[in-house]
Amino acid sequence: MLVKVLYFGRLKELSGSSEESVELRDGARIEDLFACCSSSRPELRKFRASLVAARNREFAAWDTPLHAGDEVGFLPPVSGG
Amino acid sequence: MTASHHHDRIELTREVIPSAAIAREVRADEDGAVATFDGCVRNHSHGRRTLHLEYEAYESMALAKMREIAEHLHEHYAINRVGMVHRLGRLEIGETSVFIAVSSAHRAAAFDACRYAIDTLKKTVPIWKKEFFADGAVWADGELPPAPEASAAAETPAAKPASN
Repeated sequence: MLVKVLYFGRLKELSGSSEESVELRDGARIEDLFACCSSSRPELRKFRASLVAARNREFAAWDTPLHAGDEVGFLPPVSGG
Repeated sequence: MTASHHHDRIELTREVIPSAAIAREVRADEDGAVATFDGCVRNHSHGRRTLHLEYEAYESMALAKMREIAEHLHEHYAINRVGMVHRLGRLEIGETSVFIAVSSAHRAAAFDACRYAIDTLKKTVPIWKKEFFADGAVWADGELPPAPEASAAAETPAAKPASN
């Protein structure tokens, strides 16, 4: 299945892109997606403890199952205001 | 541009925020108070002189989260209307980055709701600020929004308890 991944703030700079499509096996969860996205980006992997994930614009746990067409955002600590 | 059934004004913009107009719009004749919060760009951060800021957002999610905050205000405070506008892109010192206005019949609810709105926005709305100094730029320290520890049981029907 294909899912859309979005990176923001310093994660966008670390990953070198703001958006990508990732092909995952059925039943994959957000943590599997992150492992896949960060496998070739050690700097991104180091950030795992200080980011939150969102699935379809809602904060989501790392074990959240994904479905084809989902939009997953990896979000660093927010600093609006 | 959005307007809920409450006549709220919840927006992201790349233009100068029309603060006075927003404060005017949220007031209706039954209101006795309009509390506002004007968040503006200061010229220093951690002892360094700031030159300018840049804001970016996960726009669709940020708007959804801002609308959730407004809905929370309507549910928990005796208020009338909410204006909440955050600016994105490059901002200069002194410019308004976020403006919040809340109207109510009496002042206490407006003050309390306005305070709740800005505090919650800073913790939960996916917006990021980059600070530019003479010798470089950094993403501002922020707050990690609270996320669920584990996915909802509803996602795995087998985990649901028997209900009879």
